Amino acid sequence: MQKIFIVISTILLLFLSIPLIKLIFGIPINTYISTLQDNETINSIILTMKVSLYSTIIVLILGLPLAYLLARYNFFGKSLIESLIDIPTMIPHTAAGIALLITFGKTFENIGLSFIDSTTGIMFAMMFLSAPYLINSAKEGFKNVDVKLENVAKSLGANSFETFIKIVIPNSKKDIINGMLMMWARGLGEFGAVVIITYHPMVAPVLIYDKFINFGLDYSTPVAAVMIIFSIIVFIIVRFLNNKFN
Amino acid sequence: MLIINNLFLKKGNFKLNIPFIEIGDKEYFVLLGKTGSGKTLLLESIIGFHKIEGEIIFNNKNITNLPPQKRHFGFLYQDFALFPHLNVEKNIRFSEKYHSKNSALFNDLVKFLQIKHLLTRDIKNLSGGEKQRVALARAIYSKPKLLLLDEPLSAIDPTMRNEIMKNLKELPKRYNLSIIHVTHNFREASYLANKLAIILNGSILQIGDAKTVLKQPNSLEVAKFLGFKNIFPVSLLGFENSHSYFSIDPNQIIISKEKLNFDFCFEGVIKEIMGITDHYKIFVEVMNNQFFIKASKHILDSLKIKNNQKIYICFNKKDIVFI
Repeated sequence: MQKIFIVISTILLLFLSIPLIKLIFGIPINTYISTLQDNETINSIILTMKVSLYSTIIVLILGLPLAYLLARYNFFGKSLIESLIDIPTMIPHTAAGIALLITFGKTFENIGLSFIDSTTGIMFAMMFLSAPYLINSAKEGFKNVDVKLENVAKSLGANSFETFIKIVIPNSKKDIINGMLMMWARGLGEFGAVVIITYHPMVAPVLIYDKFINFGLDYSTPVAAVMIIFSIIVFIIVRFLNNKFN
Repeated sequence: MLIINNLFLKKGNFKLNIPFIEIGDKEYFVLLGKTGSGKTLLLESIIGFHKIEGEIIFNNKNITNLPPQKRHFGFLYQDFALFPHLNVEKNIRFSEKYHSKNSALFNDLVKFLQIKHLLTRDIKNLSGGEKQRVALARAIYSKPKLLLLDEPLSAIDPTMRNEIMKNLKELPKRYNLSIIHVTHNFREASYLANKLAIILNGSILQIGDAKTVLKQPNSLEVAKFLGFKNIFPVSLLGFENSHSYFSIDPNQIIISKEKLNFDFCFEGVIKEIMGITDHYKIFVEVMNNQFFIKASKHILDSLKIKNNQKIYICFNKKDIVFI
């Protein structure tokens, strides 16, 4: 049985890796160089990474208390809240974009802030669709922290908030960082909701789509490859550091 | 002094119901009970991890609604709950952020509990005994007036237990604190306790001076829990008194082929003889009651008795415990 499982697993792993390998290694080096010299592409990639990082930080601040409540307490409506958190991963992203647009578009306009075609719009789209990755990962991390550690910390003089900061967070940081990484990476790939709210300034997925529609595959492929390489580099560095320091 | 008045707590189907407990200064109080009897829940209620009905008074102050961090009680869990992200010294010094730093106390604890060589170690690499000493140091370093110990010796290698028990017994006087120690181990209880309570199914069945509770159970339930053997109705002895049952230690019963000059001698029939390494367990039926007797191999061999043989079992009144 083990051999059959290995064969089946290999087929799946090849299916997952070959398109990426073909994309990255199918482009001549001089095309990479010219893509890296293209300001529009680089600015788009930096914008994507930056805004995805901002949305991750905001969800970190807002999501950790929620993740902790879900991990530690049983209360009426808990299943409903957990389902609510997971809904964005199930609905079409374009639908999510429209929902965000009709909810915040006018409101922002009314108070003189920009939402449509702004980085705020991109950030909201990323936060809405990627938050479950961070919240769920942090929740699992909190569940793995023995409640007795918290009790002992309180008996030693720490209040609930100090216990959360000094005991719960340090002992669940691996899951929290993994969740941040997953959310950030998911944010980088957000297209459906972003394209509804903010076509300009273009995040990398929108730029890839734009180049594909207007100039064809030859112009969109290098942008896609560079974006993937950048993401993989950041992903590997953070994962490495996270594992090393835990 | 700690006083618990009408403490009530319901967790699922389990109810903890403690009408009254009083624990004096520097007293070593042991709460003895089976697993699932509510011992840990009571400790956690005393320190404030659960909201309870009733009241807890400590040094004349009602602390029922105080959060754990304001009660200044130390707590030691069965698995010690050392903080995995901190080394030994940082674990011990954790309370420094909330209480004043005390180098003299720190040094004394390190010396008393012999943990100097462990201070820079990661807690993952400690044995059960080392973890226990570190957790104890961490709890005492926060200068508690009351130390709550939840089965502190259960994860300790049996060879280390005697030494640690000696340390525990010394704590109240050395660090000016009272201790509540929960355990299911009679040996621990009889060695450590000044005062003892028996808890079963969330209720205290007997409380008092340790020696009295261990030697004179006040109910059939307590006697059975404490491992008393040969529990029979008092009427078997041929008289009535204020007690319903009596118990006689299997080691205090003499077995003989003839009636001896003891306060009580009963004729019975040997039902079973079980040979154990250095002694025999003999089961004798007397008027439909089965007595259990322990006898040395030497005595039994000299008597040359067999199953279904008639025999006398004799004991004195001074060895009887009335229940």
